Amino acid sequence: MRNVDYIKCGLASFLIVCWCFFQFCYPYHFFYQEQNQIFLWSRDYISTYFDKPGGVARLVGDFLTQFYYYLYAGATILTLSIVLMGILLYKTLRNFGIGKAVALILSLIAMTFVVICHFSISYRLSSTISIIGWMLVLWIVSLMRAWKMRLIQLAIALLPTYLLFGLPQVKRLQMPDFVLEKNFAVENEYHFCNYDKVIELVKESDGWNDQMLFFYNLVLAQRGELPDHLLDFTPNYLGTFEKIGPNTPMITIRNMNELYWALGDMTFTERAAMMTNVFAPDNRNVRMMQRLAECNLVSGDSLAAEKYLRILDKTFVYSKWAKRARAHAKELYCKKMEMVNRHDTITISDNAHFLMMQLLDANPDNRIALDYILCSTLLLKDIENFKRDYDRYCMETDKPKLKTLYQEALCIWLAGTDASQEEWQRYIHRQDVMQRFVEYNNQRGHPRFKGTYWYYFDKIKAPEI
Amino acid sequence: MKEVKRSRCRMRMAIVIGLLFTIYCSLFTSCTPTPKDVVMQDQLPPIYPDYCDVTIPMNIAPLNFLLREDCEAVQVVIQGDGPSLSINARGKEVVFDMDDWKALMEQAAGQTLTVTVTALVNGQWSEYKSFGWQVVKEKIDPYLTYRLIEPDYEIFNHLQIQERCVENFDVSAIGHYEQLENRCMNCHTFANQSPELSMMYVRGQGGGAILNKNGQLSKLNIPGSVYFCFSPSGRYITYSTQKIIPAFHSEPSKRLEVYDASSNVYVADLQEHRIISSPLLSDSLKFETFPTFSPDGKYIYYCAADTVSLPSDIRNLQYRLVRIPFDEATATFGTEVDTLVQHVAVPQPLGFAASLREEHTKRSVCHPRISPDGRYILYTVADYGTFPIWHPEADLQMMNLETGAIDTLAIVNSNKSDTYHSWSSNSRWFVFASKRDDGLYGKPYFCYVDKDGKAHKPFCLPQEHPVFYDNCLKSFNAPELGKGKLPFDVNDVAKAMKQEAEAFK
Repeated sequence: MRNVDYIKCGLASFLIVCWCFFQFCYPYHFFYQEQNQIFLWSRDYISTYFDKPGGVARLVGDFLTQFYYYLYAGATILTLSIVLMGILLYKTLRNFGIGKAVALILSLIAMTFVVICHFSISYRLSSTISIIGWMLVLWIVSLMRAWKMRLIQLAIALLPTYLLFGLPQVKRLQMPDFVLEKNFAVENEYHFCNYDKVIELVKESDGWNDQMLFFYNLVLAQRGELPDHLLDFTPNYLGTFEKIGPNTPMITIRNMNELYWALGDMTFTERAAMMTNVFAPDNRNVRMMQRLAECNLVSGDSLAAEKYLRILDKTFVYSKWAKRARAHAKELYCKKMEMVNRHDTITISDNAHFLMMQLLDANPDNRIALDYILCSTLLLKDIENFKRDYDRYCMETDKPKLKTLYQEALCIWLAGTDASQEEWQRYIHRQDVMQRFVEYNNQRGHPRFKGTYWYYFDKIKAPEI
Repeated sequence: MKEVKRSRCRMRMAIVIGLLFTIYCSLFTSCTPTPKDVVMQDQLPPIYPDYCDVTIPMNIAPLNFLLREDCEAVQVVIQGDGPSLSINARGKEVVFDMDDWKALMEQAAGQTLTVTVTALVNGQWSEYKSFGWQVVKEKIDPYLTYRLIEPDYEIFNHLQIQERCVENFDVSAIGHYEQLENRCMNCHTFANQSPELSMMYVRGQGGGAILNKNGQLSKLNIPGSVYFCFSPSGRYITYSTQKIIPAFHSEPSKRLEVYDASSNVYVADLQEHRIISSPLLSDSLKFETFPTFSPDGKYIYYCAADTVSLPSDIRNLQYRLVRIPFDEATATFGTEVDTLVQHVAVPQPLGFAASLREEHTKRSVCHPRISPDGRYILYTVADYGTFPIWHPEADLQMMNLETGAIDTLAIVNSNKSDTYHSWSSNSRWFVFASKRDDGLYGKPYFCYVDKDGKAHKPFCLPQEHPVFYDNCLKSFNAPELGKGKLPFDVNDVAKAMKQEAEAFK
């Protein structure tokens, strides 16, 4: 009785610790796994799983992975899978005559090993299902009493088991990557439109990286606050200097998709979404499938949108989304539709500055593109081009932007060109900025001016592109 | 005690198996509803792929289809002069039994079958307007090769070149990313539709053209070759070299544009491993591309355009269809280029017989392919440029080489890109890639050309699962028809890749 309790306690403790870890310390990894695949409830699609060995493991793994979308489901599915594997191993070892304590310890070691495997994003649930499949076969073999029969049964089962469950794919073992988890957290909260949470995650973080800053800025840009916070973090990262090529990491391509979508460039949104699909495992990424449907709905290509909506119709998790997008596209995407560039030009470059100029030429009210184009040049300390773009999209359209950042940058240009009083009056409408600029010039580079563009211009290194 | 536990366990297992068996029986073996109280509809059924009133060869695989309706059950009755074939199915998918289909096609050759679809939608049976399947005796070449690639051709991953038997659903890979280090590969092309001689490219470092001669594969280094075509004797290939540049439209529906910064046409002698050129085909002030031999080997047809400033002036980049004589015996080119089709705005003397000239406003010609009997030349026309895959206005046209008459193939073309075609060996069928369904993903369509040269409504390559195309995220690129199964597979290609490439001088 005491032994039985000991075993149950061991497994229960493992179960609780494992579940709590994945649910509370590593939950955003589940979204990455879930969104970097797609599972279709379609006979045609399911049949493709059996093109190569391990079809059942991949099928079950991908089927379960789709439910990672739901809160608590990821940790629960993963923990139960690992515990099931542990129980099967324990039972098998016991049937082979190994003592309870040793069997329990070996099972816990194996379970811990699988947990470690799951720290890596390249390790998929199907590999754990594959292990479970092999454990199941071993357990069945262990039910036979005679060793000879066991060996015969094992020999018979080897090939079918390999065909059904394949072999687990362990590419690398690593410790939990909490930096990546934080990146996923920011990215996913952005995806779910929890913009306050994105801001909170970045601000509360001990350190930040380009990935976090990218989404932080994206949120601010959509709130019209990018120029207010551009210098909150230095060096800052807008993503506008990236170009997509054969060696671009998939995460960067996905980020570019979010940037183009926010800017309203549907050609490049579609391109980046297709490229993310190209580099996803099995060339399928469900989030990009949604995006491909969205960008075609926005650009008015209903046939192309329907292609992706039909695929999403066949998923358990996104079929409702697809129905809603199909039925209410005009209401859902009316603002984006207004941003679409209907003036056709051809370019061989995916230079974001050029793309944003095209968007602004077609639609000068595209505030996100305007803030990004101005802030990008300012990050580079490219005052000449900032002034050129400011003139083109703010002065010539008679819509001057009086954000502190822009006023401060204009002061630099005006001072640097010995501008006339008239010009100062034409560009600088904020007396507080003017007054502070005078103060700054008396104490140039003083830390009390940290946060001003003048300080950034004088003291902070611009990003290299 | 243990025995009791085991017997309980067995009992539970028996119950579970029994339950599963009952569920299986109730799901899959219960009676499919049959039509009653049928309401007649005055419209064709919304079937996908669109197989309404199409002409099909008697050797084609079953035309499985689905209904774009939320129907609970469907009945399909196919009637001809002989016995009929009927299917009752739950759901919206219609999948024919292979043996029943083959028997039907044998009996129906030369006839038009009447297909009647009745569907149960929201508890009500509706019979749609019947449509016809004209089954012709002229068979289509049974094998089709194509590349599977995402529609955005700039960047690739996980490419395959497949060979599909169009008489059934058998598919095999002749190029597969797993065996070929995830390389780019393209353009598998037969010589005279024969599986005994064909070539494909495997790109990247150490890549080359993989030449198949009766299953013996060799790797060739033909500098810069892109589009190519075998001469009728198989000794030569004519090919184009080009510097390909991708460009982007800001208007989202136009998507991608691809153009050549330079392009020339050459001939390679596969026997003596030498390159044959002509200043007429490598003029620096012209773009020359898409070369193809005439079936008698006396001409090389290709497309040519005057250079313009690119990409800014791309809308003025109009290619014309031209030809130059070629003598296989001496491996020499003629001295004059004849123009067959050109844009009306370019005034220049035409060497070709006036009756064969056809003038079009703002059209650019691509991909000329001559029927094996030499009667027709099939080509793509688009508003401009040399990459019609993303041009929704890109259509096929067919010129009768005996009369010069041009058929704009209204029944064949769609309002999306229709391009990249190849002929069946009997000249009665051609295959082409069409994006008519969604504007994004190309699919192979087959078109019948009757003895009078009239093209019939094309049909899409049938698939075992009717939802295949809905789920597929790859384009069928560069479809080519072959008379027989290729005598090599992807492992042979992988072995050939390890060979030293044979150089050309």
